[in-house]
Amino acid sequence: MEKIGLYLGCNIPMKAPDIEQSFRNILPEFGYQPVDLEGATCCPAWGTAPSFDMDTWCAVSSRNITIAEEKEVDVITGCNSCFGVLSEAKHFLEDKARRTAVNAKLAEIGREFKGTSDIYHIAHLLHNKVGVDRIRDKLKYSFKGMKIAVQTGCHTLWPSDVYKVKEENPYYPTILKELCEATGADVPHYSRLEACCGMGGMRSTDVEKSLKLFAEKLFSIKEEVDPDIIVTTCSSCFLQFDMSQPILKERGVIDFEPIPTFYYTQILALAMGFDPAQVAAISQIDRSQIIADMQSERRLVKEVA
Amino acid sequence: MKIEQKKIDEAVQTITGYGGHGILNCVQCGACSAVCPGVKAGFSLLCRNLIRHLLNGELEEIIEDPSSWGCQACNRCTEICPQDVRPQEVVFAFRRYQANEMAFSTSAVTSQMNLYETGHAVFTDARELRKKVGLPAEPPTSAYNEKAQREIQALINSGPMGELGLF
Ligand code: SF4
Ligand code: SF4
Repeated sequence: MEKIGLYLGCNIPMKAPDIEQSFRNILPEFGYQPVDLEGATCCPAWGTAPSFDMDTWCAVSSRNITIAEEKEVDVITGCNSCFGVLSEAKHFLEDKARRTAVNAKLAEIGREFKGTSDIYHIAHLLHNKVGVDRIRDKLKYSFKGMKIAVQTGCHTLWPSDVYKVKEENPYYPTILKELCEATGADVPHYSRLEACCGMGGMRSTDVEKSLKLFAEKLFSIKEEVDPDIIVTTCSSCFLQFDMSQPILKERGVIDFEPIPTFYYTQILALAMGFDPAQVAAISQIDRSQIIADMQSERRLVKEVA
Repeated sequence: MKIEQKKIDEAVQTITGYGGHGILNCVQCGACSAVCPGVKAGFSLLCRNLIRHLLNGELEEIIEDPSSWGCQACNRCTEICPQDVRPQEVVFAFRRYQANEMAFSTSAVTSQMNLYETGHAVFTDARELRKKVGLPAEPPTSAYNEKAQREIQALINSGPMGELGLF
């Protein structure tokens, strides 16, 4: 089994530990042993150190990366912001002067950044290293006939020059679409596919502006796709879709029921037969009906030994 | 308005010093603003327009504007810019200037405190929730790890964030 450093960030272990549990359940099935990065901190989030000082940002990010370097593993993360922040910091540390300054800070806590561990998003690992064929082989339930609208999120797409794995066209991403199609579901295109959901700094700065942007995207999804579920590979997008649809509904901005939203590895874990009480247990929007359907007998493809 | 070279130099120097190295390459084409979700949502001082103000030598004049804090750091602008300005880096450089002058909303203080104390910008006691889904109550992060917390405090204290008197 190949070892891979599981970088958790903040939102996943504290607000959505069921997403964390879905990682821990599925990875060994594909030959990856998730290794804990003990003592890892926040990436640090865009609104913290990156908003004050480049060297502090790079020092906090690289401290996290050194934990993986010590264990001689690459890093995967499920949070797009973490992926973006860590990847950019690693990119800035290619600058010699920056690296010297940051390593001087790290020396004070007995660490050194070497740059030997690569940063991946879990979607990259599943798409590029595991591959959709091996995913298909592991399915217990098929989601044939289900319609999914996908939400990739910003920080695996741009700026493509700092990322280890790139989409062919980041304004027309296909990785998540292909991962969802592997479950048998249909994943139609919609015109605001790459649009921002409005979470993040925007939501904490001005919630009304954030909700307006979010509503536009949501209308596009509803009118053009009318999906059974929304699937994302960004934990921030997940939180926005799950918490803000009920707000828009309550305000009468939308006249349809909030669309159940999942993180990708949650639907994959469900398709592989894992226990929804562990891998898809926490949401504002009621997902019980659709989860029951996803694991219903009529969807059984085969028993996985 | 009157444009003074001295003020322009000061603005460019400040932004470059905070990491916005590409600012002088900007030709004001507006491609960045066209793809910017922040501009779309109504934050007016981002991308092309922010750069215009800065290149006019306005720095203190716009220090209270909240737009930079609405930036998603999504880097659509960086990807599209034909001049390699990396507008997101200019926006964040301006935000760093604001932050170091303490021109940010008090709501942003909580996450700095959380980061400093627990190593997590977002911190909640999730132990019950984690047990419910079959995970160990305490995540293997800095949240319950004093050595890790001391390390992050040392890193923050040794830079300008430590000098702001927040902690
Ligand atoms: S795309 Fe680049 S050159 Fe054009 S306005 Fe934006 S920063 Fe300036
Ligand atoms: S990084 Fe900020 S300024 Fe650039 S496109 Fe995204 S929201 Fe706009």
